[in-house]
Amino acid sequence: MRIAKLFQKTMFGIFLLFGLIALSTSALCVYTVDKQLSTEYEANSRTIAQTIANSSLDIILNRDLSTLQSLIDQFKELQGIKYIYIVDEHGDWLAHTFVPGIPKEIQSADRTPGATVERQLPGFGEFVEVSSPILDGIAGSVHVGMDKGLIALKIQTAIGQQIYLISIIFIVSIIGSYLLVNLAAKPITRLGGYATHLVAPDAPNALTPDEAQALLERADEVGQMARLYRHLALRSEGAELAP
Amino acid sequence: MTRRSVLISAIVVGAVGLSAAQPPKATEGVSPTSITIGMSAAFTGASRSLGIELYRGSMAYLAEVNRNGGVHGRQIRIQAYDDGYQPNAAMKNSLKLMLEDDVFLLFNYVGTPTVTRVLPLLKKYQNLHFSLFFPFTGAQPHREPPYGSLAVNLRASYRQETQGLVDNFLTAGRSRIAVFYQADAYGRSGWVGVREALTKKGLKIAGEATYTRGTKYSESLDRQVAIMQEIKPDAIISIGAYEACAAFIRDARKAGLDVPIANVSFVGSESLLALLSASSATDDRDYTVNLVNSQVVPSYESATAPVVREYRALMEKHQPDPPQGFGDAGYKMLPYSFVSLEGFLNAKLLVEVLKRMGPSPQRAHIVSTIEQLSNIELGMGTPVSFSRERNQGSDAIYYTTVRDGRFVPITNWQEWRK
Repeated sequence: MRIAKLFQKTMFGIFLLFGLIALSTSALCVYTVDKQLSTEYEANSRTIAQTIANSSLDIILNRDLSTLQSLIDQFKELQGIKYIYIVDEHGDWLAHTFVPGIPKEIQSADRTPGATVERQLPGFGEFVEVSSPILDGIAGSVHVGMDKGLIALKIQTAIGQQIYLISIIFIVSIIGSYLLVNLAAKPITRLGGYATHLVAPDAPNALTPDEAQALLERADEVGQMARLYRHLALRSEGAELAP
Repeated sequence: MTRRSVLISAIVVGAVGLSAAQPPKATEGVSPTSITIGMSAAFTGASRSLGIELYRGSMAYLAEVNRNGGVHGRQIRIQAYDDGYQPNAAMKNSLKLMLEDDVFLLFNYVGTPTVTRVLPLLKKYQNLHFSLFFPFTGAQPHREPPYGSLAVNLRASYRQETQGLVDNFLTAGRSRIAVFYQADAYGRSGWVGVREALTKKGLKIAGEATYTRGTKYSESLDRQVAIMQEIKPDAIISIGAYEACAAFIRDARKAGLDVPIANVSFVGSESLLALLSASSATDDRDYTVNLVNSQVVPSYESATAPVVREYRALMEKHQPDPPQGFGDAGYKMLPYSFVSLEGFLNAKLLVEVLKRMGPSPQRAHIVSTIEQLSNIELGMGTPVSFSRERNQGSDAIYYTTVRDGRFVPITNWQEWRK
């Protein structure tokens, strides 16, 4: 079934409106999820760094770095935490979780605790690194790297779910709109057929006499229009026409 | 007597009879006929040879003791669980052994990451007086406060092993020493040992590469080798398990990195050698050259130590099986190994402790009994001693290398002169 020309623009408008809604909600979603997840992961990582910094002091002072390693290995199992390293006050390594080795970018980086830094480590990925000083920095610092890839994945998942929902709503709406538009277009098409019936009863799209009679008996605006056509036709030709 | 009273009497007699038929309940793992000790180790996975051979070595000695009537009339039984060299599994096994099985003590645990996770449990239940006997690790946490009093060690520490390796390499003119290690508590423990040994000489670790615990021999370690090639070391000290260390040696030699590579005692020397020998045969290249392995027990190839003769005889005599359920067809038992010899020595010292605890052993008396052990001759050549301040019996380190497909003692470090 073709959509009446009269309503094609309406359908296009609906498409446009939906596209706009989908685009704007997705953009809002990306922004919100990105911001919230980034903030949450950063806060969690900072808490982890502080926890390790607080609990590792005795271990470091006792030179028991295998226990320190065991401690950071447990924290590394948390989702989103990709690496943890601890350096002493001179910047020398005490423990870390890198495999197959410490990335050169981190070896040469400024490891002063405090600031949040973004790191791109070839072969590892992109990370946001937070840090916490141990004993106010005089015993070293703990650095925790969280995976930006994981945040990106979560954003993709959230957007994917949203797009999935919008797509379903969109398809249902298009089908509904199509049906409604056709419901509205059908009487107008019949009105056109009645007009043809009045001037050329044998034309292919002309209504049959029964269909024309049914149209004239309608109580709505379409019936009024049909009766008006009939009246005008009678007046213009001064002849008795078929109903 | 009415029918009812006859019935009641029958029930009472039956109940008494049943209770007499059941063995008396054990307290603290000790019953009139047995003493049960608990073991959690890797019996599956990439390090299973370590757990299985340690168990077999202990069972060779315990089988003989049990055959001769046990200790004070009690048979020694090992309740063994597999932890696959995974810390969480070791922790769960320990809880089961301590709280459900109610074993007398914990024995023969394998690995640093597993043991370091279990130590806080021992601390938590210190009112139950559990002790960890002779863990198969040379790490520091169970040698120092706050956990040192909860464990008893027989073997020398990784610090001592790595100190010796570093000193000997330096003597041979090899001062750029790099470390290849397992990225966990075990690897860190060895790494610290190397670092401290170098620091004493005013040197630093030349560089490092790591691998993930559980890495298999079939995996490529080319990335680690590439890091080492950039470092250009004079020697590499590996702190790992046999599959990963063998893979590293294979890939290093393939890449032309032919510096000496040393492994510490935990590696599982025979399993490492078996993997490399098999690859040497297929690749037409000898992967077993330029290897140094430090050991904490004497060479089982040399019969000079009395315990070696005893070990070989009892291994031959009893041919102990792996723990029940873990001896699948895929595992080839080793006739002799450094690991099973260590298990043998562990069992020998355990029996000595149990003998000294008398006919009514109690957990609460374990520590005081250990502290009084002095100059115990296990047959290693050097007696072992403990005290309130010393919870490690032996300081002996032995260095070996591969000749003609077997490990032999190193007699001259100048062979490794740069």
